[in-house]
Amino acid sequence: MILKRIQSWLINEVVPPVVLFAIVVAIWQWCVVAYRLKPYLLPSPLAVGQAIYNDASLLGRAVVYTGSAALCGFFASLVIGTLIAFVFAQSRRIRSSGYPYFIFLQTVPIVAIAPLIVRWCGNGFQSVVLVAFILSLFPILANGTQGLLEIDPNLLDLFRMNNASRWQTLIKLRFPSAVPGLLAGARTSSGLAVVGAIVGEFFVGYGSKRFGLGYLINTTNDQLQIDRLFAAVLTSTLFGIAIFGLVNLISVTILRRWYDGPVEDQK
Amino acid sequence: MNFSRGWLTLVVTIAVGCQAEQSTIPITNSQDPSRSDQAKEVDVSLALNWFPEAEHGGYYAALVHGYFKEEGLNVTIRPGGPKVPVIPDVAEGKVDFGVDNADKLLLLRAQQADVVAVMSPLQNSPRCIMVHKKSGLTKLEDLANKKPFTLAMNSGQPFAQYLKKVVNLDEIQVVNYPGNVAQFLEQSDYGQQAYSFSEPFLAEREKSDPLCLMLSDIGFNAYTSILVTRREMVEKKPDLVARMTRASIKGWKKYLAEPDQSNKYIHEQNPEMGLEILAFGVNALKPLCLPEGFEETQLGAMTAQRWQTLLNQMTEIGLVKPGTLKSDETFALQFLNTATSVVVTPK
Repeated sequence: MILKRIQSWLINEVVPPVVLFAIVVAIWQWCVVAYRLKPYLLPSPLAVGQAIYNDASLLGRAVVYTGSAALCGFFASLVIGTLIAFVFAQSRRIRSSGYPYFIFLQTVPIVAIAPLIVRWCGNGFQSVVLVAFILSLFPILANGTQGLLEIDPNLLDLFRMNNASRWQTLIKLRFPSAVPGLLAGARTSSGLAVVGAIVGEFFVGYGSKRFGLGYLINTTNDQLQIDRLFAAVLTSTLFGIAIFGLVNLISVTILRRWYDGPVEDQK
Repeated sequence: MNFSRGWLTLVVTIAVGCQAEQSTIPITNSQDPSRSDQAKEVDVSLALNWFPEAEHGGYYAALVHGYFKEEGLNVTIRPGGPKVPVIPDVAEGKVDFGVDNADKLLLLRAQQADVVAVMSPLQNSPRCIMVHKKSGLTKLEDLANKKPFTLAMNSGQPFAQYLKKVVNLDEIQVVNYPGNVAQFLEQSDYGQQAYSFSEPFLAEREKSDPLCLMLSDIGFNAYTSILVTRREMVEKKPDLVARMTRASIKGWKKYLAEPDQSNKYIHEQNPEMGLEILAFGVNALKPLCLPEGFEETQLGAMTAQRWQTLLNQMTEIGLVKPGTLKSDETFALQFLNTATSVVVTPK
């Protein structure tokens, strides 16, 4: 049963994007050869592959640092986002007074905030986590608040009829109802946390010997080694996809076990 | 010995005299047959590697004082900024000439951009680490023993990589360069990357005590603000390159002697760059363009040995793969000899 599941997953979810990737790479290689593009403009896929192979251990170490910062930022936004969502769900007035500031956090360009963060919190891991947190907070907050507010009114009445306390309603009704919304927010947030960690690293350093993917992207760009730059960017993308896939997997598992499953299953 | 010297001087003076005469004859009346096909002005573009500032002064002087026009060149100067791809644009033919630094040129040549340097107005690089005088540091090597200390520099840059190789920076904290002097003003055990004609002025203006530790003192001395063009131009239009080089050198001599008009023009192009800092810049540039023992007549000169040294250094720090570049392909010295040898400043 599980084997068939994996087989169908591979054919439907894995093979198509891989085939598309192979086609894109082939076109890319053809363009480089046919138009005789020089490496400083666009490296060939072979050159990028070579760079990945050469930099493998460097990229691996960078992924560890960036990944840790991203995951810390993501968990922080999960916890804090959920807490704030609960507070927001309590009263309309609190929502209307607080929401605009979080929207502000979402829209202000991070390249403007990051230098300020460095000045106030210094260089180091904590500042990168802070940038990742700021970038990934909003989706969880927005989706969590919405999930908490959209409760089936009949269930609310049921709880009220049974004299449930505010706390009981919160834990046994509101929170479970909010989980699908939180998971939807978490899927978006996970990708944003990775972006936040990388962008944070453009401005913040970890210290002399440690460096993340953002640092590699910046330095290979400064050193005009475009093939290594592509390698770093590709690694960042793949890492982001991996995190997204992992969060998605957890989300689908939770939804299948305790709920009616994700929306695609329900149709 | 004296006799032949006298003859040589006479010949040179006559040659110089002929040159000087030619430059005052209007182009249309030129009797020199090789110049008759350049009767029309040629449109030329020059791309800068940063916002207009003192390090581009000579090129602006050539524009403002009409030296480009004298050579039949209608030059448009394209200001640059952060991350502007000067050398790639020159390689692609989007601009005819560019201004950038030697280490950048080598990095791009390693990526097969066939661009060469024809002139270098600065002999010594303004790249330095700016520290506080009260820190007690007198040379870059002292950084190895200074604790605690924060050094702000973009570690990816060639000079930073070279500094890391030559001086042990493990004991100090190396952070990213924030792009301004604010942190420098606040902390005394702090150093940052700087250009000697720029950031120290900003620090001094805020009553601070900046001291420049020059990268050239530890041997990393990349030619700065060099005039570059693509190899095709050097091979197919050498006369154009010669004219551009000649006018630029003349512009730089003028800028170092009388910068006011040029600085006014630069300030108009870049209002953020005040006249005060430009004046400071010119004074800081003079010892870099004309160091001790360097004749004014040689302004713009480059040596093969300097290029080879830079290439060796960049290979040593892993920025250029060994064997990919030949240093003598990165520059063309033939245009320097066509410059007039008239000395502008009186002895």
